[in-house]
Amino acid sequence: MKLPPLSLYLRSRGLPGALAALFGTAAAAAWAAQWLVSLPDFDHTARLPVVLLGPLLAAGAIGTSLHTPSDELDRTAVRPWWPRRLTHLLAPTALAVALLALAVPGHSEAFGAPAAVRNTLGLVGMTAAAATLVGARLSWLPPTFYLGVVYLAAPSDAGGGAVWWGWATRPGPEGEAWTVAALCLAAGTALYAWRGARHVTGEA
Amino acid sequence: MNKPATVAVTGLTVRHRRTVALDALDLSLSRGVHGLLGPNGAGKTSLIRVLATVAAPASGRVELLGEDVASPRERTGIRRRLGYLPQEFGYYPAFTVREFVAYVAWLKEVPANRAPAAVERAVERVGLADRIDARMKTLSGGMVRRAGIAQAIVNEPELLLLDEPTAGLDPEQRVDFRALLRELGKEATVAVSTHLVEDVAAACTDVALIEAGRLAFRGTTAELAALGGESADPGDTTTNAIERGYTAALRAHRERSGSGAARAKEALR
Repeated sequence: MKLPPLSLYLRSRGLPGALAALFGTAAAAAWAAQWLVSLPDFDHTARLPVVLLGPLLAAGAIGTSLHTPSDELDRTAVRPWWPRRLTHLLAPTALAVALLALAVPGHSEAFGAPAAVRNTLGLVGMTAAAATLVGARLSWLPPTFYLGVVYLAAPSDAGGGAVWWGWATRPGPEGEAWTVAALCLAAGTALYAWRGARHVTGEA
Repeated sequence: MNKPATVAVTGLTVRHRRTVALDALDLSLSRGVHGLLGPNGAGKTSLIRVLATVAAPASGRVELLGEDVASPRERTGIRRRLGYLPQEFGYYPAFTVREFVAYVAWLKEVPANRAPAAVERAVERVGLADRIDARMKTLSGGMVRRAGIAQAIVNEPELLLLDEPTAGLDPEQRVDFRALLRELGKEATVAVSTHLVEDVAAACTDVALIEAGRLAFRGTTAELAALGGESADPGDTTTNAIERGYTAALRAHRERSGSGAARAKEALR
């Protein structure tokens, strides 16, 4: 009889499913990016939906895996949780970043790999913060709402501060957009590592 | 009662938002089985959660097994030697009983070479050996509770905290469980919060009665039974005597504390 305890941890958090979702998302993003570019009147700038939705789905898969079914018992753990939480958040994020960067090759100046990487990092941070504040099960909701708003509202030029608040819709290399994404990641990761996913009463 | 105290609580105050769950409580426990009795909302669960180190008190000093829970390093040492059955505990439904208990053994840092045997022993002690490879989601309520007791004793704790452990057990399982409690109480400090005075009569050496966040009575089970006075009914049992003692101790405490809220409660009866 073998019971590698780490595999128990991974299973209880649904991480095998989350990893499968990451691979599936990357494959779908790669296919969608290629298809959009191949359409007659479109070029590589048509990939904006891909660099928004791909990272959003990846962040959602990672965010929902932060849910723990045994919150009260987990609190009696001998070791502090923050190192395990950091690993749990950052290891799948690194994988998602790598996969999504590969999913949108070429034309890095407009909605290519840099935008995919930046959006994955920023949205994971937002999702981790949401898991801490509203619970892991619904952690995908705030970033989805945010993306919906900026997708509709952000202008295609960088005027009016849009490069800051609409960072996820920028084509790629702007430093301001990267700054906001990095801040989101740092704040969300720190908040999650410190507090853990919020326990919502009534959740199994 | 001259065994060294393994739990020493002084001036413990716990608040939930604006309500006071425990109000400057002093309590000390030593090896043996202790019953925590009290009406609903008296603060039993708040006390157990602080003793289990899952909730932090607003103020007061808590020393468990000779170490201070306020110090992170000492808390780590305490948690290794602590077992806790929450009133409501979540579990991953696809785990088998063996995996669920092994997961907690991992949290408690039971050494990996000893863990598989410790898991089997704990599950056997609660009488679930025949269901050890059944998934948690297929178990009945009483079996889930016994799996919960198994995870609490998997690290052979020196301090065992059980919040309503007999809820959902049938009479035969309760009898077995009380025997297990008495056995555990020989080596460890066991605190059991319960509503059932039969549990106290059968398994506990002494009782702490909590009412509205304060200690209303502290003494042996026999002393609590004696508080109820003699019954006119010759067919009276120990259980009835403890129930009368419980009621008498609560009334006496409410008169002593004399708070308006307590009187109002009494008047409603």
